[in-house]
Amino acid sequence: MSKNLKRNLVAYGLVLPAFLVVMLTVAYPIVLAVIQSFQDSKTGEFTLDNYTYFFTEPAQLKNILYTLYVCLMTVAIAIVVAYLLALYLRFVRSKIAKTIGTLYLVPRFVPAMCAVYAMITIIRDSGLINRIGLVFGHDVKLGLMYHANGMIMMNLWFNIPFAALMITAGLGAIPDSIIEGARDVGASKFKVFTSMILPLSIKDVVVAATFVFMSNVGSFTTPYLMGGSAPKMLGIALFDQFNKYLAYNRSAALSVIMFLICSVSAGVYIYTNLKENEWEK
Amino acid sequence: MKRRLLTMLLSAVMLAACLTGCGGKAGDSGNSGDAGSGGKKAVSLWATGSDNVREIFEALVSDFNTNSEYAGQYEVTLQFMLSGTGAQTLADMLAAASKAGQTNTDYDIVDLSGDDLSKLVSLIGQEQFVKLDSSKIPNAASVEAKSSIATDYCQPYRGTTVILAYDSAKVPTPPATMDELVAWMKANPGRFAYNTPGTGGAGDSFARSSVYNFLPEEAFTSDDEKWIGEWDEGFNFLKEIHPYIYSSGGSVVYPNKNQGTLDLLNQGEIDMCPNWADMVLSQRASGEIKDSIKITQIDPALTGSLQSLVIPTFGSNTDGAYAFMNYMLSPAAQELMVKQMAAIPLIDASSMDMTGYEDLQGLDVSNFRLQSIGGLSTSFNERWDSEIATIG
Repeated sequence: MSKNLKRNLVAYGLVLPAFLVVMLTVAYPIVLAVIQSFQDSKTGEFTLDNYTYFFTEPAQLKNILYTLYVCLMTVAIAIVVAYLLALYLRFVRSKIAKTIGTLYLVPRFVPAMCAVYAMITIIRDSGLINRIGLVFGHDVKLGLMYHANGMIMMNLWFNIPFAALMITAGLGAIPDSIIEGARDVGASKFKVFTSMILPLSIKDVVVAATFVFMSNVGSFTTPYLMGGSAPKMLGIALFDQFNKYLAYNRSAALSVIMFLICSVSAGVYIYTNLKENEWEK
Repeated sequence: MKRRLLTMLLSAVMLAACLTGCGGKAGDSGNSGDAGSGGKKAVSLWATGSDNVREIFEALVSDFNTNSEYAGQYEVTLQFMLSGTGAQTLADMLAAASKAGQTNTDYDIVDLSGDDLSKLVSLIGQEQFVKLDSSKIPNAASVEAKSSIATDYCQPYRGTTVILAYDSAKVPTPPATMDELVAWMKANPGRFAYNTPGTGGAGDSFARSSVYNFLPEEAFTSDDEKWIGEWDEGFNFLKEIHPYIYSSGGSVVYPNKNQGTLDLLNQGEIDMCPNWADMVLSQRASGEIKDSIKITQIDPALTGSLQSLVIPTFGSNTDGAYAFMNYMLSPAAQELMVKQMAAIPLIDASSMDMTGYEDLQGLDVSNFRLQSIGGLSTSFNERWDSEIATIG
């Protein structure tokens, strides 16, 4: 046996357990779900009904659009805020910046359920803000509970620290020397940002955006506790199909639809990662 | 090494066999004579549910074994199946044992919910349970509540029901009928809520009662698909009251879970909601919700359920089972259940200490309204979700 072959076998051997686990717990169920999604619930024959249902039933179509709206808003706001935060943390050297730099990750360590309930007690129509308002004679009703805005706000709590973490890492890789160099030859701050910092960090921004998007498409806890009765986020719609209506074939179809929505974003992620930058060629 | 292990194992087995043998003998000789059942002391009690149910049963069993009039005569051991953890439910296990023709099993006495009881009756038939001899359960004489299924074959011992929970500080005189409730909703828009059916029994009960109030009484306990065609009037009623339900952020909201509406009530965002009597009272007793929250029943009543004990014919200690059944209807046991789970007592509560749970005495258990529409509930929830939730 050649040395090369041996080394290859060892490598495969090391990868094999992980590969098998992934095949068994991820790939196999996905294949099953895809098959099931094309089957009639009673006869088991091939049908497209499970899919057409989600695109023709007005309530279900609204659910899909609603989910996209909530996710895209979350991504847009989270990324802008996170980027500004990351820029601040990277380029401002002060005690406040340092403190924020250590504190901004705290939300990541608060269990989701606690965070959601904490938010509810503050923003609900009878919550903390309302009570403070009452002291000053104003009956403040935010109307955030059971509304898309409340959910987006909650999503920001979870996602801004996460996105900021990724973007900060990217910005940290930009050496001070090139910025100082550019400033030396007379580039304005704005110019430095648009032609150096932004292009150098855009990859991390896109990656962060795809992650934020994907993690919100299937979210459950926040919409279950904070969402309204209709329209619903797809995570809840899927729960209804599976647990309430026991419509397993439709559940499978909805899972595939969610998978496809996510894979658009996964595609962007892979494309950005594969695309070589000019200077890397 | 191997041999030594084997020796140790064998001796352990022998020791165990010896000890159990002695134990059995001691037990037999201990109660031959006073227990008129051929002297079998051990009684296996089977129950299922969530962890709070296990706790209450452990307390009851230990009270039975040490303090009750049967102490020393019978020794009950609890076999508890935590719901949602086993592959097989207790009802499935009983059905399997019965269908396999097993006899003399240790399913001596079994605690069943109304749903499980109806499931079992349809699976194996009520004759698989001992037809109860009322002379052996003297405490049951004052019990008026009766199960609608297998009436002579099971003994209800506690109940709970969905009631109307309200904030007495804001609603001094709560509605007494469904019509009064609707009139109240219209006079106080946005102050009533029920939770999304399918996310908790209170919302299920309210929505279903509202629809089935327009149907004959027999439909209430039927899973015949013909009733689906008659839901229209009820759903129109739900649409009619929709604009008067709690709203937030500009649209009407049906919160998820029983706790969702109870939180709104406790926060003062609504003044009334259907909820489980036991849930409201136990949370009030522990201080989680305001003292001003009270409960009342409307007419026609919201639905409830009875918890019953049965004695399978394939069990092995009928007399011990009767003894435990009788104990469960004793004031001591009933008081324990009131205090630990806000269960509605089925015997006269006047001799019991009901401090903190006085509201329970006002509930009339004799006209408990039970509902089981079986598989129709999925169609019901689906229709509710697509017709009512989406009105906005």
